[in-house]
Amino acid sequence: MNQREQALARQRLIGRMLSPVCIPLATLLMRFLFRWRLRDTSEHRALYRRLLSEDSRPLLIAANHLTMADSALIAWGLGGTIDHMVRYHGLPWNVPEQARVESSRLWRVLAYLMKCVPVPRGGDRKVVADVLKGLRHLMEEGEVVLMFPEGGRSRSGRVDTESVAYGVGRLIKELGDCRVLCVYVRGDQQKSWSNMPTSGDTFSFTTRVIEPQTNLRGMRGSREVASQVLAQLVEMEEAHLARQEA
Amino acid sequence: MSEQEVMEKVVEILKPYAKNAAALASVSLETNILSDLKVNSARLVDVVLAFEDSFGIEVEDEDADGVQTVGDAVRLIQSKLA
Repeated sequence: MNQREQALARQRLIGRMLSPVCIPLATLLMRFLFRWRLRDTSEHRALYRRLLSEDSRPLLIAANHLTMADSALIAWGLGGTIDHMVRYHGLPWNVPEQARVESSRLWRVLAYLMKCVPVPRGGDRKVVADVLKGLRHLMEEGEVVLMFPEGGRSRSGRVDTESVAYGVGRLIKELGDCRVLCVYVRGDQQKSWSNMPTSGDTFSFTTRVIEPQTNLRGMRGSREVASQVLAQLVEMEEAHLARQEA
Repeated sequence: MSEQEVMEKVVEILKPYAKNAAALASVSLETNILSDLKVNSARLVDVVLAFEDSFGIEVEDEDADGVQTVGDAVRLIQSKLA
């Protein structure tokens, strides 16, 4: 086990030990401080439980990205407090922007305890590659990773196909037999991107499982895989918006 | 293909992606593609794919991880062409 893998194992252990405090606290904050509500999560939680238990192939969650609370909302939408405490490997690892995490001590502590691996956006490719290696190791160990294929919050408020984060594709391609749980989440009042969703907003979820494949090699293959994931999110967004209009 | 020829072609490929025109005008092997030329990191993939198309080579993800400067790109391409 190399140094990074040891650090991730230590982070997981500490996070798990404090999860009886952190997970209920996060849920309470979302539920009572921000008064967010989730619509019809039972189907998505059942699907997620099945994905976690049906086989041991790696599982990546790929979602659209509109607010800084998306990863917390997705974790909540896919599992309740008890679910994540019992099946701690199902609480997904996140890849927040390093500058954001390092902006305050509180952020740093929260990120550490809530399974975050900060990544420098636009940073040294070797550092980014090292983060991807760590994520790959976690997934091979049965952990779930959540990534946003758009790379950042969509400035248009719609899934941004111009902004493909190739790292998502690289991770999926390198794992070979990776399952991808695509998640589209949006609050009723979420018209565009923002830091936080509106207080009192209600969120709808759409989930779909895909297994992207490519015959292309190298970066071309990674981009092709990331594009397949993004195309799926576009379809899910169109279906969501059509349902909203109906 | 000489280092100079590869360099000229690399700079030509970088032109549409470089936001810092001044740095591009005085480009050298030491020029950093992201921090000096201000190429968007998400666009770096397009740059590498353009290298592949233009030079008829295939770049693996691990190879691309080592590309930080124009010189890194030139050396990588030359090693693939050799």
